[in-house]
Amino acid sequence: MKNVIEIQNLTKYYGKIKGVENLSLKLEEGEIFGFIGPNGAGKSTTIRSIMNLINKTSGKVLIENKEFNKDDIEIKEKIGYLPSEIYLYDDLTVKEMLDYHESFYKKDIHERRVELVKRLELDEKKKIEDLSLGNLKKLGIILAFMHEPKILILDEPTSGLDPIMQNVFYDLLKEERTKGNTIFYSTHILSEVSKICDRVGIIKDGNLIKVEKIEELSKKSLTFVTITSEQVKEIVKDLKVNIISEDENTIKFGNNLPHDELIKKLSKYKIDRILIEEATLEDMFMHYYK
Amino acid sequence: MFKREMKINFKNFIIWTSILIALFLVVFLVYPSIVNSDNMQMMDEMMKMFPEEMLKAFNMDISSIDSAFGWLKTEGFVFVLLITGIYSGILGSSILLKEESDKTIEYLNSMPVTRKSIVINKITCGLLYIILMVATIGIFNFVGLSLSGEFNKKLYILLSITSIFSSIVIFAVCLFLSTFTHKTKKTLGISLGIVFASYFLKIISEMGESTEFLKYISIFTLADIRNVIVNITINPLVVALAVAITIIFIILTIIRYEKKELV
Repeated sequence: MKNVIEIQNLTKYYGKIKGVENLSLKLEEGEIFGFIGPNGAGKSTTIRSIMNLINKTSGKVLIENKEFNKDDIEIKEKIGYLPSEIYLYDDLTVKEMLDYHESFYKKDIHERRVELVKRLELDEKKKIEDLSLGNLKKLGIILAFMHEPKILILDEPTSGLDPIMQNVFYDLLKEERTKGNTIFYSTHILSEVSKICDRVGIIKDGNLIKVEKIEELSKKSLTFVTITSEQVKEIVKDLKVNIISEDENTIKFGNNLPHDELIKKLSKYKIDRILIEEATLEDMFMHYYK
Repeated sequence: MFKREMKINFKNFIIWTSILIALFLVVFLVYPSIVNSDNMQMMDEMMKMFPEEMLKAFNMDISSIDSAFGWLKTEGFVFVLLITGIYSGILGSSILLKEESDKTIEYLNSMPVTRKSIVINKITCGLLYIILMVATIGIFNFVGLSLSGEFNKKLYILLSITSIFSSIVIFAVCLFLSTFTHKTKKTLGISLGIVFASYFLKIISEMGESTEFLKYISIFTLADIRNVIVNITINPLVVALAVAITIIFIILTIIRYEKKELV
């Protein structure tokens, strides 16, 4: 497999404040790479550095083994970019915006545009300033996918999309992967990453702390269980759990067991109340990378 | 990109050009009745009582306001200079920066275009609108003057052209300054400040020998109206200087924009 995106020792400081530090990463052809981290971890800084919107303090980005410089039109043509917050020209209608977008590309991309507009159910007559957040996101997705780029760089692409449109979008992503296109997918939603990505990179405080295959991450799937029972002590002894907090007959613990197994074990006891929560990204960090 | 740039800047062009046209329309409509009345002589007499420095500031020492063309040479072109100057300043400080201020630059930057072509497209559009504005006002006044009576056509055409030189320099300077920030509201005040400061420096420089040096730091020195009125010719040095300063600031803008962080 050839490397499509290669980030080499990327460092970005805003004055004395660290954005990202010494970040190295390779994305192979045809993979969907999930890039997760909490707000302010350095996801957007990394993406903006790749897109040359900001100047790197040091390090470089290679696209298909060629350094991606600001004015490299050949590389820019291969990239579809969806920023986390989409700002487009308010004075235009959706149709005018799409026409304007078409004007930047030499090849005819009209057919793909028509297909995407239909699939994402976007009204071309509407003015951009009147679009809801979800519709603006749809337009952003169409703009990023329209010229059939080999590389997609997507920053929080599903925020604002309703569940139906999210599924349409996931289908689009799978089609892109089938075509052999590479996707850099930044998000803070863990379930999204496990659903569609092949590999995941976890960024925290500007450092890439882990790159893992999704199967590996799934094995570590973590939930938090809160139980109220008079037999709390026996449960703790039986399940050998790591208690996070406890209050009289109530305990909260981190659970690595498959849910099926957990419920079987708990069925032996009289339980007054049970709450099983999916671990948040923050919880994952606390649990694995503290 | 160029077509779109022309489209989004069209509204402002119409507004500012209309301001000048409305002003001159009033003059052309009202002036004949003033000129024909007895008041004119009194007004001319009164003008002579004003200090020479003030008359100089409005070119009234070398021209009289006894006709529409006379008024144009005195106060009229001062308005043209100031309004085209303000328009050029606003245009220069916003044409490039608007994409950053509105955050649309994130989209534009991801398109297969170089930063240089973004700057050049926008500058070409800006310069074209400045020239179009001067030409529109020039043609309008030419028609107005032709209907009001005889006037020196060569002098008029040369006078009309002069405002281009100060305007393009103001445009280029403001364009360069806009590369130091991300928000248009920060540069708009500065660009208006440059226009007014330049204008007052020019007036003060004409008040006496001790303040004459100030003309070297005023952009309006490049619109040498006095020389044109007296000699009916444009000083080639002024033209060369205006073009050179404009080119230098455009090159500096391109260099800075290449290195600029866009978000």
